[in-house]
Parts: sequence; structure tokens; C-alpha cells
Amino acid sequence: MTIKKFRTLLNSVIWREIRRMVAQPVYFLASVVLMAVSCIFFLTLFDTGAPQKVPIGIVDQDRSSISRRVAHELDATQSVKVIDIYATYEEARVAMQQGKIYAFLCIPEHFYGDLAAFKRPTLTFYVNNAYTIGGSTGYKQLFMVMNLASGAFQREVLRKKGMAEHLIMKRIQPVAIDAHLIGNPTSSYPVYLLGVILPGILGLMVLMITIYSIGTELKYKTSRQWLRTANGNFTIAMLGKLMQLFILYAALGVAVNVLLYKFMHFPVNGSMLILNLALVLYIFAMQSLAVFFIGLMPVLRDALSIGALYGMLSFSLSGFTFPAMGMLPWVQSLTNLFPLRHYYLIYVNEALLGNSITHSLLPMGSLMLFFLTQFFVAPRLHRALWFQNYPKG
Amino acid sequence: MNTHNTNSFLSQWFGDLWQVFVNELKRIFTDSGVILIFFVAGLAYPVIYNMMYYKNVVTEVPVAVVDMSGSPESRELVFRWNATQEVQVTHTCANMAQAEQLLKDQKVHGILYIPADYAAILNTGMETAHLSLYCDMSSLLYMKNVYLSANMVVLDKMQHVQVDRYEAMNIGSQMSWALVEAVQYEAVNMFNPTGGYGSFLIPAVLVLILHQTLFFGIAMLCGTAREENKEIFLLPGRRRRTSVYRIVTGRTLAYFVIYMAIGSFDLLLVPIIFNLPHLANPWDVIQFMIPFLLSTILFSIFLGSFQRERETGMVTMLFTSLIFLFISGVSWISENMDSVWINVAKLLPSTWGIHGYIHMQSMGASLSTTAYEYKALWVLTFLYMALCVISLSIRAHLYNEDLKKEDAERREKVRLLLHERRQKLAERQQKFFSRHHTSGNAEV
Repeated sequence: MTIKKFRTLLNSVIWREIRRMVAQPVYFLASVVLMAVSCIFFLTLFDTGAPQKVPIGIVDQDRSSISRRVAHELDATQSVKVIDIYATYEEARVAMQQGKIYAFLCIPEHFYGDLAAFKRPTLTFYVNNAYTIGGSTGYKQLFMVMNLASGAFQREVLRKKGMAEHLIMKRIQPVAIDAHLIGNPTSSYPVYLLGVILPGILGLMVLMITIYSIGTELKYKTSRQWLRTANGNFTIAMLGKLMQLFILYAALGVAVNVLLYKFMHFPVNGSMLILNLALVLYIFAMQSLAVFFIGLMPVLRDALSIGALYGMLSFSLSGFTFPAMGMLPWVQSLTNLFPLRHYYLIYVNEALLGNSITHSLLPMGSLMLFFLTQFFVAPRLHRALWFQNYPKG
Repeated sequence: MNTHNTNSFLSQWFGDLWQVFVNELKRIFTDSGVILIFFVAGLAYPVIYNMMYYKNVVTEVPVAVVDMSGSPESRELVFRWNATQEVQVTHTCANMAQAEQLLKDQKVHGILYIPADYAAILNTGMETAHLSLYCDMSSLLYMKNVYLSANMVVLDKMQHVQVDRYEAMNIGSQMSWALVEAVQYEAVNMFNPTGGYGSFLIPAVLVLILHQTLFFGIAMLCGTAREENKEIFLLPGRRRRTSVYRIVTGRTLAYFVIYMAIGSFDLLLVPIIFNLPHLANPWDVIQFMIPFLLSTILFSIFLGSFQRERETGMVTMLFTSLIFLFISGVSWISENMDSVWINVAKLLPSTWGIHGYIHMQSMGASLSTTAYEYKALWVLTFLYMALCVISLSIRAHLYNEDLKKEDAERREKVRLLLHERRQKLAERQQKFFSRHHTSGNAEV
């Protein structure tokens, strides 16, 4: 085939495809519109980078002024807010079970007297880990304020003993830890989450829309006409169909990355170029899997259902929330079957760690392996498109 | 007479309802796509999620230590850190560069740097020894493990150092402890005691699975009906009889019956099988499921009825699963969300379902303690019922108007046709008569 003929055929498939995309609002919806909705949602959902003013409570069994002082100390911190002081443990427990507070502090009877008499009274923190972020923030802050209170008490006693102020401080804290959080210095939740979840959503959309795009040709029996447009050439037909979807989604992907790393100033310690390249490869990998699914099951509804089941699992199995090392060994190996896992590894390397590109090469290679999946089903898909011998669904 | 009419109306009403109900069940069980969503996804997903988070907690995260002090004191610190459940010291590095490379290669997820003067400061000086801790942020769970365990170990060490110093100043041991730790504390993990990730997330996911499989399944059935030119408000097998109430109620009941079974498996049995928190009274959960399922079904019918094609719902709405999870405020708490999203979340049955279920099953709340969520779900049930009825009534009305118009047009056409025929006949007759008349004249 001459190049000229190839180009004419390709052009005619492309134009046919563009007409289809314009006629069906779902293409515009499931790309630009819903990606914009997702970006707006996730970028506006988090009021703050780190949890703030997490509601907690105090149970005051001592009924001295100490509970108000503790409440005041706790309110002065950024992370928690004492919303109520309860008379009994029961009341606080019910408030916790109703989701009003995430932790509470129990001040026992005779607390103030015991403290003044150096009897080392015990405070109890009750933490709700059924809500991880609320519970752990509450716990961390209670723990910190408790240590500060102990320090303040110590300081007061030493001062009374006539010790110099600068010596007191060193005495109170002989060892200090300076923490460095690599790649996300403020431990910001959106930074941690969005760099993976937004590309993940985009991948989900390209998977579904590619299955839909090929599947509707089968469903409405237009597949033969599609092949005829390419003069019966399967490669040209597929190329003409997948190319604009790929360009559309790759462009959206890069736009998302630019939005996150340029406009929102999320940290990138490595190469932005590699990160974008990885995203483009990831989009292509998801598209290849879409062809694989519809080729495997050339029935629109079945391929879509399987694609949806698979796509939703990729968020958990990419290991960016619960790390893969905590999974069962066989589940750990399964994570490799999800392109998002490999994109996540590149993201960690480029955005957070800023390590040399060599560490991004292996996951990039893995992403490229997904390209091959579509070739396994090509003959089967070709036959299905031509003979239309599957249930229409 | 009157009672007889009422009776026949009621029996007709319930007869239609029964027909809608049976017909919808038939549609569900003959549609492989819907079966895949309801039964395979609805029942297999809970199992898959439990397999993924089977270990529930991350332990022994590999970490590196750069010990520039090389003293018994620093070795003791490393030993104690290594002894915690959270981390495991897998590498001891000679310098920081080496350790940093290990972290960049993801061989370790944390580094503790102990400066050369660590022991000297502890033993002799009155200074503060500064340790540096480097945390890998690729997963918040790594960070949590590394950070918390190091702080715990150092705090403990610090208190012992302080007590030693006070004792050296001839302050008695008991008094020293009273100074260093004036207040003792005890932390009680009240709910989800292991602090596990799976036992935190999976209860929310279980509820969301019910919500989303219903949503996609119902949307698919609504789309199919539209594709087959059977408007959703038509009684089965009829082209002209519309009834919004009978249809909405009948269909809702069909999904409800199926999902009481699937829901009982997911919300009651799965937690027992996989040893997730299951503190609730099962009867409370079943009672709670009623408004949750009803509101979810009506929410899905309302949105699904706008869909023209069978598959578009799944293609466009799949990403909502993530949005619904985050907007519910189970991960990032709702107190820290933008108020717009808090209000949007209130319109979703999933939000109330997730919180109510977690409160009961993970936190042992009774149904009366969960009354707020329970009532909210009933409010949503009536809200979406009203929306379904209004939107379908409008469409049924328009459809009936169309039919009437069509009928009128047809009648008009028939009338015109008849009129034309009659005219033609009249013309022909006239012609015939006139010819006859002329010929008659000629004869004459």
C-alpha cells in the first residue's frame, strides 16, 4: 500500500470517528467534563492540607478548674478543638458512637489533688480508630499536649528550686527529634492523594470509553461499515479509532499534571518530563487493556462490566494507600497486573524522591508491556467486527 | 356499590403492582450484565477487598540507621527502635549519603540519624541531643509507623535520662518520676483496636459496594427499557397504560427483596467471616438496611430514568464510586471539608449508610444511638420517591399527550381520507349521472 493511500484511508476513518464522537455526548462528557469535575472536586474537597480542629471531648470527673485549663491548652493547638466537656464517661462514649467526637480525654477523680501531691495521677485517652484520620490526629495531639503539660509542671517545680531558665529547658528535653518528611514536607493529604488518584480516574475513563467506542460498533452492527471505511484493513481501522481518543486523553493527562505541579505547586523533585511521559504511557496501557477486554469478550455490556470491575480494583492494588508490602504475597504479585501500580512507582520516584531516571525505567518498561495485550486478541476482535457473530447485548 | 368499586380498584392496583414486581424480577434474572453487577460484583467484591487487606496492619517497615555516635547509648536506642513492631532496622549505614540512596531505591522507608555527640550530651552535658528522622512519604502508613515508633522510643529514653539526672542531683527516684512524668497516661483504642487499615476502610467499602452495584444495575435496566422503546412508566406489556406509583413501588420492591439478601451477606456475614469489627446487633443492622436500600434504589431509579442507552451510565458514572467514598467523610473527615461538599454529601444515601453502619458495626452503637442517620435515610427515601414520582409523572403526562396528539392526528387523517374518498365517490357518481343524463338527452 502506498503511503498516500494509507493516509487517505486513515483520514476517512478518523473523520468517521470524529463525526461519531461529536454525535454522542458521552465522549465529551466522559473526558473533558467529568475530568474537570473530578479535578474541581478533589482540589476543593480538602479545606486544609493537614487535619485541623478535629472535634474531641473531655470527661471531667474531677470537677476542678483543670479540665477548663486542659481544654484551653488543646484549643490553642491547630489540630484539635474541644467541642464539649462531659460529666460522665457514658456521655462521651455515646458522643463518639454518634460520630460527634473522634477522641476524648478522661480526667479522673482527685486528679488535681493527686497532681499537687506528686502522686502521678493517670489520664486516659480514648481514641476512635474506626475513623483513622480523625482518631490518629486526636491521639497525636492529646499525646503532645500531655507531654507539654508534664514539661510545664517540671519547669514550674525547677523554677521554684531556683534553677536558671536556660538550663531548665535543656533538662526538660535532653533529646529532640527533627523530622524530615521527604517529598511532602507538610505531610499534606491532597499532595499525597491527588498525584495518583486523578491519573487513576483518567485511566478509568479511557478504559471505559475505549471499550464503549469499539463495543458500540458491535452493538449497533456498524463494525463492518467501519472496516469498509478502512478498505477492510483492520490496522488502519483500529488506528483511526484509537488515535484521537489517545490524543484527547493524553492531553487531558498532561493538563492534569500541569494543574497539579505548576498551578497548585505540588512538589516535584525529579523530572516533570518523565512524569508526563509516564502518564502518557499509562494512558496508552489502559487503552491497550480496553482493546484486550473487548477483544476477549466482544459484547459491549460484558466487556464494560469486566472493565469496571478491573478498573475499580486498580486504586487499592496500586498500593498508594495501603502499601503493597502489607499485602499477602500472591496479592503483591497481582498488583503488577495494574498499570496504575507502575505509574505510582514512577510518581514516587519522580515527584517525591527525585531519584535518577534509571529507577523509573523498569516501571516504564512494565507499562509498555501492557501494549502487547491488545495484539493477542487482534485476530479475534477482527473476526468479531467482520462477522458480528456475538450477541448484541 | 361504592365498596365494590373500591375493592375492584384496590385489587386491580395490587394486581398491577404484582405484575410489575414479577416482571422486574424476570428482567433482572434474564440480563447477564445486571446479574454480573448485582451478584458477581455485589458478592465477590467484599471478598476481594478482604483478600487485599487481609493482613490489615503494616508491620516491620524496613528502616536504616546512621549511627555516628557508635556508643553503647546509641546502640541501645537502635536496639529499642528495632524491637518495636512498627519498624525493622534492616540497614546500618556508615554515612547519610548511603542511607539516602537506600531510601531513594525504596529499600528502606525511614532513616534515623544519630549525631556523633549523642552519647556525650546524654552523659555529661546539659545540652539537647538532636536526632534526625527522615520519613518516606510514598505512603502515609510508612510515615506513621516510622514517625510514631521513633517518637515513642525517644520519649521513653528521654524520661529515663531525665530521671537519672535528677537522681544524680539527689532527688529521690519517686520524686524524680513525679517530676519527669507528673501525669501518667494510658491510651485506649476504643474502636478498631488494632488500628488496622482494612478494618477501617472495608466497612465503608461494603456499604459503598451495595450502593454502587444497585446504582449501576438499575441504571442499566432503565437504559435497556428506553432502548427497547418501553418507557419506564408503562405497565408491563402495555403501550398505553401508565402508572407511576405502581411502577415505582413494584420495581423498588423487586430490587429491595434481592438486596435484602445480598446486603445481609455483605453487611452481616462478611464481617464475621473475615473477622472485621462486628459489634452491632444484627437485628439493628437489618432495620437500618431498610431505609438505606430503599433510598438507594429510589435514588438510582430517579437518576437512571434519564438515561437513554444501557451502557452510558456505567461509562460516565464509574468514577463516582471514588467521589462518594471521599465525600462521605470516612477517610478525610467531614469537619475539614468545604461546606458545599458537606451539603452535597447529605443528598447521597451512601454517606448516611456508611456512617450509620460504621457507628453500629465498628463502634457498637445501637439503632437508637444511630437514629440521626436512620432518620436521614428515611427522609432521603421520601425525597427520591417524590422526585421519581414527579419526574415520571411529567414524562408520562407528556407521553400521554403525545399519544393523544397522535391519535387525534390519526383520526384527522382517517377523516380526511374518508372525506376524500367520499368526495371522489360523489364526483364519480356525478360524472356517471351526468353522462347518463347527457346520453339520455341524446336518445331523446
